[in-house]
Order: sequence, then C-alpha cells, then structure tokens
Amino acid sequence: MFNLKPIMKPAVMAAALSALISPAFAEETVLIAGWGAKSGPLRSFGVNSEAVLKAAVKEVNDSGGIMLSDGRNATLEYIYFDSACNAEQAISVARKVASETSALIGIGPTCSGAAAAMFGVFQKTVGDDSDTGLQFPILTDTAVRNGLAKISQWTFRNTPNEPDMYDKLFAWVAKTYPDLKTIYGGTETDQGHSNGTYSKVIVQASKRHGFDWATGAIEGVTGDLGSGSTEVLDSSSNWLMADTNFSVQARAFKKSNADIYIISSHPFTTCGMLKELKRRRAEPKLMIGLTSSSSAEVMKGCPDAAEGMIIPTSFAPITPAAEKVAMLANENGGDADLHSAAAWENVMIIKRVIESVGIGNTPETLVADRRMIRDGLETLEMTDGLIGEVQRVQDEGEALKPYVFVQATEGKWAVIHDPRAMQ
Amino acid sequence: MGIDFVDIAQAIIDGLLFGSTYALIGLGFTLIFGAMHKLNLAYAASAIAGAYVGLAMITLTGLPSVLAFFLGPIASGVIGFAVYVTCFRYIPTTNMLAPLMASIGALFFIDEIVIHATAGSPLSFPAVMEDIYLEFGDFGFRGDLIFVLAISLIAMAVLMYILFRTRLGLATRAVSQQPIAAELCGIAGHRTNAITFVVTGALGGLAGCMAAAAVGVISPLLTVPITVKGLIVTVIGGLGSIPGAIIAGFAVGGFENLFLLLFGVNQRDIYVFLLLFVFLVFRPGGVFDTAIERD
Repeated sequence: MFNLKPIMKPAVMAAALSALISPAFAEETVLIAGWGAKSGPLRSFGVNSEAVLKAAVKEVNDSGGIMLSDGRNATLEYIYFDSACNAEQAISVARKVASETSALIGIGPTCSGAAAAMFGVFQKTVGDDSDTGLQFPILTDTAVRNGLAKISQWTFRNTPNEPDMYDKLFAWVAKTYPDLKTIYGGTETDQGHSNGTYSKVIVQASKRHGFDWATGAIEGVTGDLGSGSTEVLDSSSNWLMADTNFSVQARAFKKSNADIYIISSHPFTTCGMLKELKRRRAEPKLMIGLTSSSSAEVMKGCPDAAEGMIIPTSFAPITPAAEKVAMLANENGGDADLHSAAAWENVMIIKRVIESVGIGNTPETLVADRRMIRDGLETLEMTDGLIGEVQRVQDEGEALKPYVFVQATEGKWAVIHDPRAMQ
Repeated sequence: MGIDFVDIAQAIIDGLLFGSTYALIGLGFTLIFGAMHKLNLAYAASAIAGAYVGLAMITLTGLPSVLAFFLGPIASGVIGFAVYVTCFRYIPTTNMLAPLMASIGALFFIDEIVIHATAGSPLSFPAVMEDIYLEFGDFGFRGDLIFVLAISLIAMAVLMYILFRTRLGLATRAVSQQPIAAELCGIAGHRTNAITFVVTGALGGLAGCMAAAAVGVISPLLTVPITVKGLIVTVIGGLGSIPGAIIAGFAVGGFENLFLLLFGVNQRDIYVFLLLFVFLVFRPGGVFDTAIERD
C-alpha cells in the first residue's frame, strides 16, 4: 500500500497555487491602478483619494463586479502607488504601471505640476506610430489646473472646471452683494494650480462681473481668461507654499481697503494667511478661496480665521450618494472632498466603460483592452456624478462638473448656493 | 500700491520679531557644530516633531494649551538624544561626511513619521497673547510675536547662563575647544555631547513651538524652510558663534521681510541667498569671526 499522505499536501498546495496564477483565474479579476501623494506634505490628498477609491471598488464588487465581454463577472481590484507630489515619481509610476502590470487604466496623480509632466510622456495622438509615448488610459481625479488633459489623447480628467466655477461665483457675488465693488488678493506663486487659477481665471472672472482691483486697474486684464496674468501677479501680494511669515502680505491686504479678499492657496498657507489677517484686524466684507481649500484641512487648521470664506466646490454631501461616499471615506481613514470624491465617480465611469466596450481581459488582449477603454472614455457625453450629472468635454478630455458654493460656517463647510438653481 | 516709510519700518520690525525663531534654530545648529564640529541637519525636523508631540499631548489629554510650549521642548530633547545616538555617537569623529549624511536621512525619516502620523494635514497650533494687537498710529505689533520674542530672549539668556556659568557649560566648552585635553581632565566627551544634543534639542523644540505659534498652524512644510533659514543664520553668524547666531537670526528675519516688501516673494530668497554669499566671500567667519580652534 502506498502512503500518499506525504505527497498529497504539497500536491494540493501546488494545484491551488497553479490555479491562482493560471490565466483562467487571472481573467476573473480586472485590475486598475491609482497613484497620488502618499508621502510628503500633501499626503492627505493621496490618503483621501485611496480611501474613496477603496470604497468605490468595494461598492462595485458588492454589486456583482464588472461584466466582461463573454458575460462573466470579474472582481475589480486596485493597486495604489505613491507618486508624492513629484513629477519624476509620477512619471516613473506611470511607466511602471503601464509596462509591468496588467492594470487597464490609471487614476491619478495628485498635483497639477506632476500631472502636466506625466501627461507629457503619453502618446500625444492616438494611433501615431511615430510617437512611442505611453499608450495607457488615465482618468485623473485630483490634479485640477485648467486644461491639462489635452496634453495627450490618452489622458482624461474628471476634475472641476474652474473657469466656469469662478465665473458663476462672481456673477452670484455681484448679484448677492451689490455693495461690494473692489477686490485684492494673492497666491502661492510656486504652486501651478494656485498661481494659474488665480492669475488666469479668478481675477479675470471678477473683472468680467464688474469688480475693480482695489489699488487701481491692472494693465492687460480684460476679463478674458489669462489676460494680463503677469501683471496680476505683479499687482498682488503673494507668498510661497512653505512660507511661515505673512506679515508683509497681510499688511498689503489690509492697506488695499478692498471689499473682497482673494486667497488662492492650499490649506497650510491659506490658514497661515487667514490667521495673519485676523491678528492684524484686517476685516474684508467677503473672502474667496481656491477650490482646493474647500477641504477638511482648512477646518482642522483654522476654522475661526476661515469663518465666512466662500469657495466653489464640486463636492458637498448634499445628495444621498454624496453623503454615503463621505461616510465611507471616513470609514476608510480619509475625507471626501472635491478632489477625492472624483475617485468614486471615476471607478463608476470605468465600470460603465469596461462593460460597454467589452474587454477580453487576458494578457493577450491587454493592449487592445486599454485602447478600447480609452476609446470608450472618449465617447462618453455624460456621466453620473455624486451631486449631479457630469458633462464631458471630449475634445479636451475634460469634465464640466456640477458645483456648489460653500462657506466656512462654525467649523464646517456649509452649502450656501447651488448655481443650478439659477438655470 | 506704493511703499512708504511705515511699510518699511513695519516689515523690518515684524521680521525681527519672527527672526527670534530663526535665532533659536541657528543657536542649535551652532552649538552642535561648536561642540562636535559637525552639522546636524535633522535639527529642525526634531524641533518641528517635538512641537507636534507637544500639540498631540495637550490635544489628547486636554491639558492647557500653554503646556505645549513645555512638552514640545522636552520631546525635542528626547528626539535630539536619539539623533545623537543614531547619527553621531558611533561614527568615528574623523569621518566628517557620514554623520552629515546620516542626519540628512534622519531629517527625512522624522519628517515622514510626522507626515504619516498626521496625513500631512496642517493643524491649528495655540498661540499665547493671540488676541492682543498693539497699534501705535500706523504701526501695529502682534502680541503673540512679542511673546515669541520674549520667550526666545529668555531661552537665549538661560542658554548663555548654562554655557558660561555652570559646570555643564564649562564641560561643553572644554570638549568643544580641546576634546582630548577635556578627556584627560576627566570630562566624559560622549556624555557631554549627548547632553549638548538634548539641550539644543529642547531649544529647537521651543523654536518649533514658537514658529508654529507665530504662523498659527503647524505642518511638516515648516521643516525644510526652517532648516534652510537655520543654516543661513549659522553661516552668517559664524559657525560655532553663539552671539553671531543670535544677531544673524534677527538680521535674517528683518532682511527677509524687507526684501519681500521691496522685491516681492519671487525675488525675496534670491536676495537672502545673496546675503549668504556676501558673507561667505567677504566674511566667511561670520558676524563675530570665532577664534575657536580644535586640536
């Protein structure tokens, strides 16, 4: 009688292992990749995005997973990488994900500067054989600087459209606060998003709606996007992202006697500047902030000093879906805000696209699957957002997301206006 | 918007007040350099980490917020000791590069621990006399910055007392100037260096708390600029020169604000670094060219 016991256990383990690594098993899983700032001072952005991404993936799987072209359902899985807020690291992660993993699409990165550089290594025009850039679809959730997605036809974004947001905001401010006439402001000049949005979008939007620069008209600013942007920066009182002393800037703000202060920066310096203004008894009639500051960080850092500040944002828990995502984000150790909430929407968009284009999801079809997903993204005209439908601007790969205006009120961001009500 | 005399004077005064935190950080760098002839680049990271610990303690335990200014320095002292043990203690004194690189590693390590513990979120830091703003005509003075200046001056005075009026200070100076002779006289060099790291760590923790209180917010973003400013202060003041570090700290704070007012934020640091180069070229020994030599 042969004793099979000694060889049975390894045999069963080997069989199980081979089943795990076999193509048949692999076909049951659809892999997506995410990356964002998980280290460095902007770590909270990556933490929040991953928390929401994790919740969204679970939601998809709880509702049956993703249907493949042959009718089978696959489980959605994700891998998440740290690209910090660093262009080289973001490029490195993109190359690694595209060449070494079976991920079908990427979500990220965090920072606009990193995104601008990263998008540059992707194939600019689909099907251009002379361009050896990465052929891997991206659906960015966080990097928000205006106009980045058109760098490559492989790159798409589901981020807010700030020119539209600030245009509507100043239209509303002009109507709601007719006595306010003058503005003054400043930005973090070393941050592409803060700087670009301030000098090319916000000040021009204010001009368009009849507001005057408190210290005299800025040459070249006509109200058109980007007009007189250099002069805007020269006329403002600015700072850097890691600055610790805002006394000179706060004095300039106060001296301007403007009705409205514009503070276009990320949470750390927004709080530094707001606290300095408060200590110097600078009392504007209204303060307007950058979209990125409509987050929990400002409420943790300077709730009192931020009181009254108004910011347009594409996320607020005003619908049951948005409330649910906000709760799930907290359960996963993060916060849902205008950046991270987009990760939820992106996962749902990816599920919809994959199911509509019918991918093979095998190693042999990986390249074709990625291309089909890219093409599927391009055909989208409308997607479901957490606070309403999102319109796609496909010649630019961008989104027109619904948004609301929030105001810092007693340590929370309270929704004070929904522009859709005006339409 | 035009710049008048009041703007210039106010900018310089504000800069001097804030410069007291630079002076404290510069003092820490210079004391360690004076004691060991080595730079501890993890110094500002330890200072900010200590301030975080102080904030965490008062937040978690509900202690009065002013205690952050005591708990922070204690925590920084402990971190300073850990940095000494890991980056300096067991590396031969003849190897100049290894401790420098180790301290750079410690800088990023400490910073990343803070970032992971807080997700990098800025946190509100308590300030003393925050509601006080003294106005004299067009001039205004923040009460909390006056408090920062006062505490910094007291800390400097205590440090000077320790260095020049106590046996510990005598031992520190002896090890700094003649380490072999000091050992022969029975002074334990490693123990003295360890105490120096603890004392300077506590000083740094106080500076970290003061800087966070002056901004009103604490963030890991504070680490690198404070490290850079501390190094500039140390060089301008003269490596190893205590009065030099104090004077240079105030001067850098004042000039930094003046350059900001006159040239804008994008050119401010160009002029601050130009100031550094001017000193390196024309007065490499710093404001008070130190005559301390080592065997």
